Amino acid sequence: MPITRENIKTSPKYRQISHLLRRAGFGATPGEMDRYMGMDYSEVVDELLNVSGTSTMPDDVIFRMFPEYHASLGVDACANWAYRMVSTDSPLEEKIALFWHGIFATGNDKLNNPLVLLNQIDTFRRNGMGKFDDILLDLSRDPAMLIWLDNQTNHKDSINENYGREILELFSMGVGNYTEEDIKECARAFTGWSVKNAEYMALMGQKDSIWPYSRISWHYEYRQDDHDYSEKTFLGETGKFDGADIIEIICRQESTARFISRHLYNFFVEDEVQVPSWQEVPPKNPEAISTLMDAYFEHGHDLNKVLKVLFESDFFKESEYKKVKGPAEMVINVLRLSGGFEEPSLSMIQAVDEAGFMGQLLFYPPSVEGWHTGQEWITSGSVLDRVNFSSARLTDLSSPGIRDIVNRVRDRCGTDTRPDYVIQVFLELLGIIEVSDMTSDLLLEVCGGENSVIDTTIGSFDVMASNLLRVIGSSKEFHLV
Amino acid sequence: MKTKYLKTIGIKTNQPVGRGFLFPYDVTFDSSGVIYALNRGRISQGLGTRIQIFDYDEEWYGEFGEGSGTGPLNFLIPVATAFNSKDELFVSDEGSGEIKVFSQKGIPLYQVGGESARGSCELMGPSGIAFDADDNLYVTERSASRLTKIDRDGNVIYRVGDPGSLPLQFNMPWGVATDVAGCVYVADWRNDRIQKLDPDGNFIKIFGKSGTEQGHFNRPSSVAVDGRGNMYVTDWGNERVQVLDPEGNFLQILEGQATLSKWAEQWLTVNPDEYSARRSSNLSVLDLPDHLQSPYQVGSQTEHLFWGPVSAKIDDHERLYITEHSRARIQVFDISDNGL
Repeated sequence: MPITRENIKTSPKYRQISHLLRRAGFGATPGEMDRYMGMDYSEVVDELLNVSGTSTMPDDVIFRMFPEYHASLGVDACANWAYRMVSTDSPLEEKIALFWHGIFATGNDKLNNPLVLLNQIDTFRRNGMGKFDDILLDLSRDPAMLIWLDNQTNHKDSINENYGREILELFSMGVGNYTEEDIKECARAFTGWSVKNAEYMALMGQKDSIWPYSRISWHYEYRQDDHDYSEKTFLGETGKFDGADIIEIICRQESTARFISRHLYNFFVEDEVQVPSWQEVPPKNPEAISTLMDAYFEHGHDLNKVLKVLFESDFFKESEYKKVKGPAEMVINVLRLSGGFEEPSLSMIQAVDEAGFMGQLLFYPPSVEGWHTGQEWITSGSVLDRVNFSSARLTDLSSPGIRDIVNRVRDRCGTDTRPDYVIQVFLELLGIIEVSDMTSDLLLEVCGGENSVIDTTIGSFDVMASNLLRVIGSSKEFHLV
Repeated sequence: MKTKYLKTIGIKTNQPVGRGFLFPYDVTFDSSGVIYALNRGRISQGLGTRIQIFDYDEEWYGEFGEGSGTGPLNFLIPVATAFNSKDELFVSDEGSGEIKVFSQKGIPLYQVGGESARGSCELMGPSGIAFDADDNLYVTERSASRLTKIDRDGNVIYRVGDPGSLPLQFNMPWGVATDVAGCVYVADWRNDRIQKLDPDGNFIKIFGKSGTEQGHFNRPSSVAVDGRGNMYVTDWGNERVQVLDPEGNFLQILEGQATLSKWAEQWLTVNPDEYSARRSSNLSVLDLPDHLQSPYQVGSQTEHLFWGPVSAKIDDHERLYITEHSRARIQVFDISDNGL
């Protein structure tokens, strides 16, 4: 019997919650699913959205082993964040930080100061599911962003439009919804929004200077005497606006609601065309975007409420496997499944490097536009890296998470040793992967064919499990979410 | 009681050879007062790990060792250093489970713990190390949460402790020191306290508890004891050093007051653009937003304050050396009577 989505004997509730945790997190381990299955779907949504008392691998334990993780190179900072993503019990908190990192893409290749990027990620954790006005305000005072877009050189008598342009084009409204004059007025409103010792800090960043005593972290400084207090006209409104006023006006715009809704849809629901095409290409699901926009205005721009609407919508629940896993998402998913990160490990650096080889080295976006997503994650080179990484990790039966999965499958099979059933249980525990006929044929072949009997003695079962997991990790379906 | 700041030693480097530090973790002194610094490097990449040799005046003498690998000069996760009375340098390594022993010139001599060790002693994450007057070696074992006393031949005299928070239990212990009476002080890292034991491993007293108040600790990583029995604790998580009297009463907090070292002055002199930008900056005065008020953030945002104070050591001239892994330098304080 071919293995199809229809004959995987999994309850609708299990499927929905598993889907939710793949999208709002990095996939659930079997142990986590045991806990979540004791809750209603909406209770799981609420728990994900209402973060409190997050438990992760403690920073002190990480820093004792790897002091370089907070003060050294960008890849060390990646590993620092990766530990949070792998070990957190509030996965949406990290997923939303990843979401904003893709949109408010800030790169260490210019800043050369990983600590300020980690602080920026922490800001996304803190406010990433809050009111969009607050998110933009914090972003506009974020020292990493200010130096990234040169706002320290945006002076009242000589404006630098860089931040003024990007906050409109890439962070809130999107191209086509404002004029060049609006950009200039916006930039004037953000004059004086700078960083303490900005000139020295920018120079150190530019020269990648670690001397004399390592990098110094940055904090926001408002330079009153460098702010343009005069009247400005922005999006048809006139006043002595400063940056906060500008943000308040931006967040009232319908174009902002649409822009954010499309981003949320693209990240959490279904792969869309890339942002530069949004002006010409309408959303795949205009009704869904309309629903999210309504929620944005109805709830006072509160993204927590918008996300609740999204996760409880039919369009979300019906969107299984409509997205390609991003590299970071894929790597973290595999690491969470494989477990073994109770203590810091030398292997985390290798894992974040792997995400880089697959096209997404965190803190190193290709441009201010962030990463292109969806099918653009897949190239001939990245496929090899993905397959090698996932297969190697999933077939390591010594890792506690994989060991647990294999043991669970063996226990659940009991006397039902038909290959199709064994395969179904494996797929379910790895996240109910929907597989094609071709993949199912391959999996059956690994098990000795449709009519064979699985040998459940431990040694033989482990060999079969390892081969099966290798094929699953190599399958197209494993790389969808 | 007041200590007196003397000077700062060091400068950051990202080079695998030459003077300068990359995550220094500890210093120790041979009988002539020469300083040996454990430069931990980026162990995740095995880069920059080595022992560096120099003196109080920052005269550079050389270096040895490297990261990764299993050779006699390789380190995986080195943590601490100590000299015995024969001027043999001991270097603990949590990663390999060994304590490697070198001559002053960096020639490998033998090792304690590990497969080819002298004596019979298995170590589980050897971390802090210190000698008593008879050259017995005390080792904290991070992974086993215990203290082990080892004789000169590498054999275990006793082990004490297991994971927990009761007296004589430890939670990932780190630094260790002895006093003139032979008593032992353990930085009981994740229990946020110092435990004092007698030479036979019997419990004497606990100093401190979790917190940020005077006399409280947040992950103390190291303790040094002067000739009067005063304790100098690197209160690592609070980014400060606390001085306690022999009874554990609070005496003083050191926050750090680094100045430019000789090496730093030399570097800035040949990089005038940075020296100029630096001179027109204010690296001391802070106006941090609420979310950046933690000791960690304050340390990261300032330059003269401690950031990552990991080790406290005292030399024969009653000078206290505080090694900061995140600032790649050593701040030195006078703790002699003149300095009080």
